[in-house]
Amino acid sequence: MVHSWRIKLALSVWCGASALFAATPAEDLFRETIQPTLKQHCLGCHGEGELFGKLDLRSREGLVKGGSRGPAIVPGDASASLLYRALEHSGELKMPPAGPLPDEAVAAIRDWIDGGAAFAERPENASLDWGAFKEEDLWAFRAVKKTEAPGGIDSLLGRKLAEAEINPAPRADRRTLIRRATIDLTGLPPTPEQVEAFVTDPAGDKAAFGRVVDRLLDSPRYGERWGRHWLDVTRYADTAGFSNDYERPNAWRYRDYVIRSFNNDKPYDRFVLEQVAGDELFPDDPEAILATGFLRMGPWEHTGMSVTAVTRQQWLDDVTHATATAFLGLTLGCAKCHDHKFDPIPTKDYYRVQSAFATTAFARRPLAFLPAEDTSGFAEGKKRVEGLIAQLEQKRGRYAETSRRYLMEKFGVSRFEDVPEVSRKQDAGLTDEQMWARRIVNKHLSHHAESIKRYQPLAFSVTSGLVEDWNDVGPGGAGSYMKKPDYEQVEMHVLVGGSLESPGERVAPGVLSAVERYSGLQAPEFAETTAGRRATLAEWIVDPLNPLTARVMANRVWQYHFGRGLASNANNLGKMGAKPTHPALLDWLASRFVEEGWSVKALHRIIMASEAYQRSSDPPDGAAERDPGNSLLSYFTPRRVEAEVLRDSMLAVAGELSLATGGPGTNPQISRDAAEQPRFTQGGLRPPYYEEGRREDRNRRSVYSFQQRSLIDPMIEVLNGASVDLSCERRDSTTVPTQAFALFNGELSYDLALAFANRLRNEAERVVDRAFELAYGRSPSEEERALAERHIEEMTAYHRDHPPAPRRQRKALVRALPSQLSGETFQFTEDLPPWEYEENLHASQVEPETRALADLALVLFNSNEFAYVY
Amino acid sequence: MSTEADRGRTRREFLYRSGLGLGSVALSALLAEAGPLSARNPHHKAKAKSCIFLLMEGGPSHIDTFDPKPKLTELHMTEFAKERTKFAAAMNTGKRHYVKSPFKFRHAGELGIEINARFPHFAGAVDDICFYRGLQAESVNHPTALYHLNTGNRFGGDPGIGSWVSYGLGTENENLPAFVVLPDVAYPQGGAANWSNGFLPAYYQGTALRAQGAPVLDMNPPSGVTPEHQRKNLDLLGSLNAIHRQRHPDHDELEARIESYELAFRMQAEMPSVVDLANEPASTLELYGVGDPNPEVDAIAKRCLLARRMVEAGVRFVQVIVGGWDSHDYIESAHGTRITAIDKPMAGLLTDLRRTGLLEETLVVWAGEFGRSPDNGLRGGDKAWGRDHNAKAMPLWLAGGDAPRGRIVGATDEVGDSAVEVVHPIKDFHVTLLHLLGLDDAKLTYFAQGREKQLSQTGGELIRELVA
Repeated sequence: MVHSWRIKLALSVWCGASALFAATPAEDLFRETIQPTLKQHCLGCHGEGELFGKLDLRSREGLVKGGSRGPAIVPGDASASLLYRALEHSGELKMPPAGPLPDEAVAAIRDWIDGGAAFAERPENASLDWGAFKEEDLWAFRAVKKTEAPGGIDSLLGRKLAEAEINPAPRADRRTLIRRATIDLTGLPPTPEQVEAFVTDPAGDKAAFGRVVDRLLDSPRYGERWGRHWLDVTRYADTAGFSNDYERPNAWRYRDYVIRSFNNDKPYDRFVLEQVAGDELFPDDPEAILATGFLRMGPWEHTGMSVTAVTRQQWLDDVTHATATAFLGLTLGCAKCHDHKFDPIPTKDYYRVQSAFATTAFARRPLAFLPAEDTSGFAEGKKRVEGLIAQLEQKRGRYAETSRRYLMEKFGVSRFEDVPEVSRKQDAGLTDEQMWARRIVNKHLSHHAESIKRYQPLAFSVTSGLVEDWNDVGPGGAGSYMKKPDYEQVEMHVLVGGSLESPGERVAPGVLSAVERYSGLQAPEFAETTAGRRATLAEWIVDPLNPLTARVMANRVWQYHFGRGLASNANNLGKMGAKPTHPALLDWLASRFVEEGWSVKALHRIIMASEAYQRSSDPPDGAAERDPGNSLLSYFTPRRVEAEVLRDSMLAVAGELSLATGGPGTNPQISRDAAEQPRFTQGGLRPPYYEEGRREDRNRRSVYSFQQRSLIDPMIEVLNGASVDLSCERRDSTTVPTQAFALFNGELSYDLALAFANRLRNEAERVVDRAFELAYGRSPSEEERALAERHIEEMTAYHRDHPPAPRRQRKALVRALPSQLSGETFQFTEDLPPWEYEENLHASQVEPETRALADLALVLFNSNEFAYVY
Repeated sequence: MSTEADRGRTRREFLYRSGLGLGSVALSALLAEAGPLSARNPHHKAKAKSCIFLLMEGGPSHIDTFDPKPKLTELHMTEFAKERTKFAAAMNTGKRHYVKSPFKFRHAGELGIEINARFPHFAGAVDDICFYRGLQAESVNHPTALYHLNTGNRFGGDPGIGSWVSYGLGTENENLPAFVVLPDVAYPQGGAANWSNGFLPAYYQGTALRAQGAPVLDMNPPSGVTPEHQRKNLDLLGSLNAIHRQRHPDHDELEARIESYELAFRMQAEMPSVVDLANEPASTLELYGVGDPNPEVDAIAKRCLLARRMVEAGVRFVQVIVGGWDSHDYIESAHGTRITAIDKPMAGLLTDLRRTGLLEETLVVWAGEFGRSPDNGLRGGDKAWGRDHNAKAMPLWLAGGDAPRGRIVGATDEVGDSAVEVVHPIKDFHVTLLHLLGLDDAKLTYFAQGREKQLSQTGGELIRELVA
């Protein structure tokens, strides 16, 4: 049977955040079919524009009451309903006057009336049943309660441990502890010298470890590590995603701003204010301008194929959700289409918060480089991009020349100027293959034209109201996007069902009503002006009385130290997130955090000084039975290190890590097969992935790798790297075989293992011992040493008999792709970049002994001990 | 630690709230129950156990393939007046004209279904096919429309269909990935996010097989490293890991990581034989067009044959991507060569599946991210017309499993501007596709980001006409 009522008469409705539970079929039918039909064909005369026949079809009451001809519908009986008879064109009255609606639409209205003519409840009119929420689910909205706890963290953890009759594990040995702390705070393993200094420090455990923590917090590596955590939450990337995935050439300044903020221990409240409304609150502080890059971190693209209303709403939804997720720990997106099903967040609140962003425009604004931003490599970097541009311009010039010659010949003239202007087409005289190649060249040039702006003093930022000179929609999009007046006097409406086509009640900017209701923090007054909305929102977020903000951050910090938050869903403190295992402890931490002037480093010191943090990772008696998930923290839960830590550690141990800080992202060595994979964009191909020529540029910390949304380093990705699309509250540590492929077979692993071996041979007498010390921070056991030495011996013999294969040559790539014009396959050459490539050490350059030692190094890189923190 | 509030919640939700995820303690727990990839029972009985999804990237024209519109010949080069709304993309504005299809159509099969005459091979297979003309997409922008078709979410970040299906059914062969993607030379717009596992655990990620070299990224070590060399290193790794394991007897996760290395090498051993076409008889190669002098035919034929071999070896979901359908201009040559390139390989695939009996248990889907417009802005002049994007009408066909045979479902209007019969949005198609594989979209959910997520996003309706 034909489901007539499914027929769509209007554009389909989109609901990104989506209904959690399906509405009743009658409501669906109304919302998806009846309402659009009425709107398109009827309301112009009966409701919105006019009230012909005194008939108002905008509400069920209006339909039942009817107009001058009597009731329009009799719910439950279509055949007795004037509306249906008029639509059916069976009686005297025929509607619409222009001609009958399609049969399916008429049938849908019949079914709907017969079914009782339900009007879907309009979410903005729905009164949230505040009484339906259980107290236990509202904990995060309640004011933070500070417990007096002279014993700090351990006394607050102690009660439950005692109840469970678990004696917590003893203190971890110093070797374990310094590795744990160093990886925690810097994302790198400690050097053997650091380990030995701590192990032999005559000071007491507490004082000695305190000094280690202080040293690590002072290291610039700290900000790189903890900045990365924040970039996980904000989905940092250097490109825009979608079809073209154009570079956001100044986004790196936001990344460095984040790293600097952690290194400088910027008070967290200020950090939040700057990211949400830095431009409004601190217009003279360049850091605060850079911070607003946060608001634009989501993937976003507008092209000639996009619909402005849709892409604008996409950003508004993204920024609303991102802000709530990052700072408030709430899944606000759920309230886009309907009142939140789990948390006390009516749809109206969603659009009130969204209104704070309604006047925000994207800005690429001039902003001088700061002293903290090292620009020393810029001239050279710029020259490299210019080299790529020149290479492509030369190619383009050849096509232009072919065209010119063809035209001159065609018109029998000797000077190109004599060719009639109308005939000077770019493609004239080019073969299909040349036309396509020229398009790809143009596409590549359009990418490089963006990339070269990396080196300009511009900020990836926002303004309230559009500053036309700074408009930043991305290449090719600005013409069809919003104009200056569109950002002013914006009227925001609730979107019924999340649909742009169903604007509902008008809303003014505001905040979450649940916060005032449950915590007592009074909602601020918003001025409905173009400027100032985000400032008001930001100030509300960091109000010390806001129950969410400090809890969310204290919980995140705890999570990165222990592998799991006290409330284990760092992005969701609502009903569906886990309840805190130790609510009093979380509140205590949150209040200490605020008391310490929102100092994240103070929070680290407090946490790391606790016995809980310093415990051994061996479960004590009874823990496995009575607390299998270790939520009572009777021991330190071991965990796998993140992808970036693994890569950075391999580089560090191999002696290859470059500690250069900041600046535009650099392209590291990635799987060459992935790098050479061609990728389509709108009307062409994306430029090839070119590794940095200098080794030190390739071997920087992973946080500085250029983050291309369409090409994530496969090694990082496969080891559960953070999504660049969705906020990552916590890294997964799923174990899959493709991880073994990347780490055990990948060229980078082999190259770094060889570098490690070479380093060992140059630096040490007892290479095996030194290898273990560098990789694990300890000496090998007798058994391990024997195994390793035997392996080296065996492999040396093997390598003597097996000379290495020569190095794979880097060469221009010839692509064979179907042309969009003819569908025929054509060839396109991607040249090597016009810069020197400093090769890694290759097996053919070293002795068999070193190659054998590299085998040991490769095994160490792949071993469980290297991949886990205890 | 189970409390009153936990009662009635799903296991996954429990894990989410416990903060453990499927990676840590839960992995070993799951492995003890059944591996995350082990074969599972469907929600309901369905003939199809696996799926081959032929994704035509770029937006193939329904008007020039399987949905002829003679009316356009009449209207050719007359102006096309379209109602403009604020929801139109810049691409679809300006002066536009109806354009006819440059192709001849022919009747094929017992029912005389009309298809483009440039599908001589496929014409022989139409009696196995259910053509569907009622589907509507929502976006006319390639990446968003591709994400929508492939993941249900226009803005990306969600799991691909193949991930959902692998999550629902597991795989018949744990030495191979459950979800395999056979991309064109170039990745489609939107890239690998089209086959991402999104918020599902990494086991369910689509593995893109490469046409040359090692089929899976880094499946083979750098050249010159022999199996012997590798095995020796692997043995040392095993020994060191075993010593380490003794020091941490309570840390179960270590076991999973040790096992993952062994699994990787079983995959490394098995995969080459699956991707090696050398053992196929010459008649089979010829059937698909492997070795055809037209390199496009040869390349697509290899991927189609590989798809059959994958399904045969137990892979649950194979997506074959064939790009190049974005024919804004020169539709005759642009679509013509695409049609020629795919005709023999896809017909060969259907024939092969039928004769081996695999068609009974393999659902084959053919679709692009949207269809094309009956009108054109005539950028290339009136001799070079093509068609722009059209989300309101698109070509799609199904074959195998419980899909109806030799049927046309739904219809578009007389110029092919919009579907008008049996009209359904993408989410309903997703529900239907899962249904044909024995899965219920409403039950195939995963707790992520604070709620149960599903392929259709918010639930959808089964398109009953597409189920025999």
